[in-house]
Amino acid sequence: MSGNFEVIGSRAPRKDAPNKSTGKARYIEDIKFPGELAGALLQSPQAHAKIKRIDISKAQALPGVVAVITAQDIPDVKYGVSPARYDETLFAVDRVRYVGDEIAAVAAEDLATALKAVELIEVEYEPLPVLLTVEEATAEGAPWLHDQFPDNVCAQVEQEFGDVEAAFAQCDLIQEGSFFSKRQDGAFIEPNQCVALMDSDGVLNLHSSTQVPHYVQRTLAMVTGLSMSRVRVVKPYVGGGFGPKASATPIDLAAGFLAMKTGRPVRMAYTREQVFLFSRARHGFTHHMKIGVKKDGTLMALDHQATLDGGAYSSFGIATVYYAGSLLGGPYKLPNMRYHGLRVFTNKPACGAQRGHGGVIARALFEQQMDVIAEKLGMDPIELRLKNMMETGDVTCNDLAMSSLGMRECIEAVKNGSGWDQKKGKLPPGKGIGMACGFFVSGAGYPIYRSETYHCTIMIKADEDGGGIVVYTASAEIGQGSETTMAMIAAEAVGIPYEQVRVKSGDTDFGIDLGAYSSRTTLMTGHATKEAGENLKAMILETLAQELGIDQSRLDIKNGLVKISGEPVDFSAIRTGYIKEHRGWQDQPSGEELTFREAARLAYLRLGTLVATGKYKPPVLGGKYKGAAVGTSPAYGCSAQVAEVSVDFETGQIKVERITDAHDCGQAVNLTSVEAQMQGSVSMGLGEALFEEVKFDGQGRILNPSLGEYHIPTVMDMPETKCIVVESGEPNGPFGAKEVGEGAIMPTIPAILNAVRNATGLVLDETPLTPERVYLALKKQKGA
Amino acid sequence: MSKQAITLTVNGVARQALVEPNQTLTSLLRDELGLTGTKHGCGVGDCGCCTVILDNETVNSCLVLAMQAQGREVLTIEGLAKGAELHPLQQAFVDAGAIQCGFCTPGMILSAKALLERTPRPSREEITKGLSGNLCRCTGYEKIVEAVQDAADKMSEA
Amino acid sequence: MLLPSFDYYHPQSLPEALSLLGEMGDQARPLAGGTDLLVNLKLKKLAPKVLLDLSGLEELQGNGTDEGLVSLGALNTASRLASGGPEVPGLLAMGAGSLGSPQVRNRATLGGNLVTARPAADICLPLLALGARVVLAGPSGQRQVSLDGYFKGPGYTVKEPGEILTHVLLDAPRPGVGGGYQKLGLRQAMEIALVNVAAHLELEDDGKTVALARVALGAVAPFPMLSPGAAQVLQGAPAGEKIFTEAAEAAAAEARPIDDHRGSAAYRQDMVRTLTLRALRQALSQAQGSKEEQA
Repeated sequence: MSGNFEVIGSRAPRKDAPNKSTGKARYIEDIKFPGELAGALLQSPQAHAKIKRIDISKAQALPGVVAVITAQDIPDVKYGVSPARYDETLFAVDRVRYVGDEIAAVAAEDLATALKAVELIEVEYEPLPVLLTVEEATAEGAPWLHDQFPDNVCAQVEQEFGDVEAAFAQCDLIQEGSFFSKRQDGAFIEPNQCVALMDSDGVLNLHSSTQVPHYVQRTLAMVTGLSMSRVRVVKPYVGGGFGPKASATPIDLAAGFLAMKTGRPVRMAYTREQVFLFSRARHGFTHHMKIGVKKDGTLMALDHQATLDGGAYSSFGIATVYYAGSLLGGPYKLPNMRYHGLRVFTNKPACGAQRGHGGVIARALFEQQMDVIAEKLGMDPIELRLKNMMETGDVTCNDLAMSSLGMRECIEAVKNGSGWDQKKGKLPPGKGIGMACGFFVSGAGYPIYRSETYHCTIMIKADEDGGGIVVYTASAEIGQGSETTMAMIAAEAVGIPYEQVRVKSGDTDFGIDLGAYSSRTTLMTGHATKEAGENLKAMILETLAQELGIDQSRLDIKNGLVKISGEPVDFSAIRTGYIKEHRGWQDQPSGEELTFREAARLAYLRLGTLVATGKYKPPVLGGKYKGAAVGTSPAYGCSAQVAEVSVDFETGQIKVERITDAHDCGQAVNLTSVEAQMQGSVSMGLGEALFEEVKFDGQGRILNPSLGEYHIPTVMDMPETKCIVVESGEPNGPFGAKEVGEGAIMPTIPAILNAVRNATGLVLDETPLTPERVYLALKKQKGA
Repeated sequence: MSKQAITLTVNGVARQALVEPNQTLTSLLRDELGLTGTKHGCGVGDCGCCTVILDNETVNSCLVLAMQAQGREVLTIEGLAKGAELHPLQQAFVDAGAIQCGFCTPGMILSAKALLERTPRPSREEITKGLSGNLCRCTGYEKIVEAVQDAADKMSEA
Repeated sequence: MLLPSFDYYHPQSLPEALSLLGEMGDQARPLAGGTDLLVNLKLKKLAPKVLLDLSGLEELQGNGTDEGLVSLGALNTASRLASGGPEVPGLLAMGAGSLGSPQVRNRATLGGNLVTARPAADICLPLLALGARVVLAGPSGQRQVSLDGYFKGPGYTVKEPGEILTHVLLDAPRPGVGGGYQKLGLRQAMEIALVNVAAHLELEDDGKTVALARVALGAVAPFPMLSPGAAQVLQGAPAGEKIFTEAAEAAAAEARPIDDHRGSAAYRQDMVRTLTLRALRQALSQAQGSKEEQA
């Protein structure tokens, strides 16, 4: 829809790119404080055990050790992600629940000493039965990981929209299928790290590699017992997050306590193995679905069961189990839907949120079954999807409102872009083509804790000389490009060139921002930024109108110039004043039009420093049923992908040769960044589809906690990816924008599954599609 | 064994440092010489974040002892730009949108640099092979490949 | 990740290195590329008191050909081998080129790959198929050991702690000889093989009859192994699909894979068959190509 924009929709180079290209960009490990201590964690080698005794005396006696802390040394405060499920303590009180559970922390003069001290802490364990699977954890008589959660049930969801049984009775075809996925890891390239220190104001400062400074601030304050105003969280550049960095880590909290105790800065870092141990990444899902359709292809009903292997703590899991159900409400018209969701505790690291939170595998199975249905009905898979897809204005059976939805445009774009009609059914043996769709929220409709808080606030200050503006935001640039996005939105809102905007972000001193998760930043922080920019512009124009003695409605600012409609106005006094103030400068304002610089300077001279603010929280959204909050959003992005694969029948190896990807992001703020999110999503989806699996031995130890043995795609594994950006214009988004960060991953796995099915005839029900799994399935098919 | 003095050339400048036997080249660059553009990733050669060019060849600096750099020439990401002017590869990465979180970027650019030294006009296959030791989780690599292609074009024209 | 404490020595000649090694016994570990050793130190799998950096030893550098015999210095990096050249058989170049990543190949050495002796080692397999011998220098002089018999277990060979692997000896590449290398993994790069196979074929002057064949199998035994059955099937037979299929069958029968988290024994066994067949086809095409080139 590309409106009449000066900055929005362009390919402005990212603000952070030059520094990141030269090595000047500073991440946590690059920021040093005088007098730093090195911290280290003692983590449980046992997956499930009672702690009989902890002896820290030898560790304390080691020269160079400054502090050793265990559960005894800190307040007994439970925390977590969802307040209704606070089930974690920083250090194990009497029991460890997974290999990696935290027991103690040490601060020492250097890391080698801290690690040595950790080895000197003696812990006596009394082993408990280790429950590694959902089946073991839910078996009769299995011990409970948490006394407050009977039968190891973390959460159970029962929802029904419409009347599923009645709808099935009217169906001509009922298709059933199951799917099993494995635990994935976020595999962001920068391992978590932090430094905590008390500043001279008595404020605990935590510098952390996090997606959510605000939630980390809250958790750290709550656990330490400090007020929010005595805790500041600063996020420098962050080397990726993808979900697992969306909550406070044990090192964030332990470093905080150690800094308070020692009075010195304390640095703590995860090794790559510890990143795997902390996890908080994608759950392993088991889905079963029964889908009913009429013979013309009309979707009638879905009966869906999902079981999530949650690991030892709740983390984001409540949201995950709800998302796994609610995100099937669209993008197809589905009048009747029943969902039974179950998340179970097991003695493994806790799972949490990861790109496409909760919805990815549910989407994979649903889209795979759509393909099977299409075949059984003799329809083209695209035709079946076009027949059922939702349109702008539709509301799902679970009350998600599609205020904009370019689903048709996406489907048609990938159909044409991939040459679907020339390829489908006409490919040589071993080659296959498949497609899938998906949708995702543009920001969670509600904060993680129950509150009427704004989700984000923005402060924009004009430079006193009028040369530009600074946007202060507590939002989290984690690589997705949010600083650039906010700069572009502010530039557009104020009416100045992008180059005149600076962004300061990632500091809780700058305001509230819930952080980089649920694909919320562009829409939500973008709204607040736009509002602040418009307010700043109004302040400037109001002063200018008074000075010129004309009505403010005649004034506007565009591209750094003041636009005056109607009769010409004499502004020479303002210009002369500015020039006199800046004798000696070489770049005095000139030309026929008054500049932003002069207008903003004038406003400063009249009002003092110009600061405008903006804020955003979504309106009340969604239904009234239990769990209605999860899945609601002010807007939904949607996408379609076509995958083309080749399958080696003799080894089972799959090569994804080409992906054609279309995504409706409402309005691209930065076209390059939108494509970049689409391409990144494809690579994470491809990894999950083909390679990625965190594996455990019988004692709950991770077998492959490295990037050598946990395989994320290399550049050689990536197909050619063709990106098509669809812009439906989102009425609830700033300048029409909505998400791209997570919705873009939704179709990748099912598109690959469907392409593999097209090549082989196999309906594979387990990811990753390793050569061995595919080979065995082919062998079975041959035998059958 | 105590610290030993070594001399080496880093980004064209002769440097001296006192290093421990068990200190890695990553640590020498970051902790002793303050060159923090070399990122410390996995520490075991799996990710490529700590890639530097040692005597014209890329290495994972986490798997090279500082002492092994004695008398040798190291190029880090800080050695590419000429003053305020970015190296054509850096500029191409900025222009193509090949940088997201940026943590893999220094190593990626150095791998690309070594590749273009050997193969000034690489094919797509040569580019992907040349960058295959540098993991990126953000970009899906597409814009990185584009950036290397663009830089190769520009550098060959010049 | 921190390296444990150790002393570092950088001897400048083989006698000096051997003498240091003799003094320190198994407290010392020779260090070549470090891509394996330093990882194991960081993971606390090894804790030697001394690292003996071999990079200063001229004796371990350089390659030469003498009377049809190629000698490759132990310090050849995988990159150097992968780039080929007159002394480097194509099969060895293929294996070396598939090892790890460019950064790893720039450090990892021929000698290191042979000494660390991983079951799927990308350089060991081709050398085994090529019938290579290693030269081990020790306090009492040099000895040559055929690779068939060199490997004893994962990370364990006939090399004594006081010895240093200095060279690899093999037949110079010649017409009528070809190699094939097949590696199966999940990813296209930075991958340890799930199964890998190296095949070496020497044809009679007729360009058809197999004069000599060796098939080496990786990741299906505690160390890189030869398949005598496959060699026997091939020897003297006319090269082609029929005999290759039989050889692949023989190789699969001799493979002794185990189940582990990376793959099942049964799958690996089947893959030995598939990859052996492919490697033999590749070897034949290379052998015939080299013949035509000569003609």
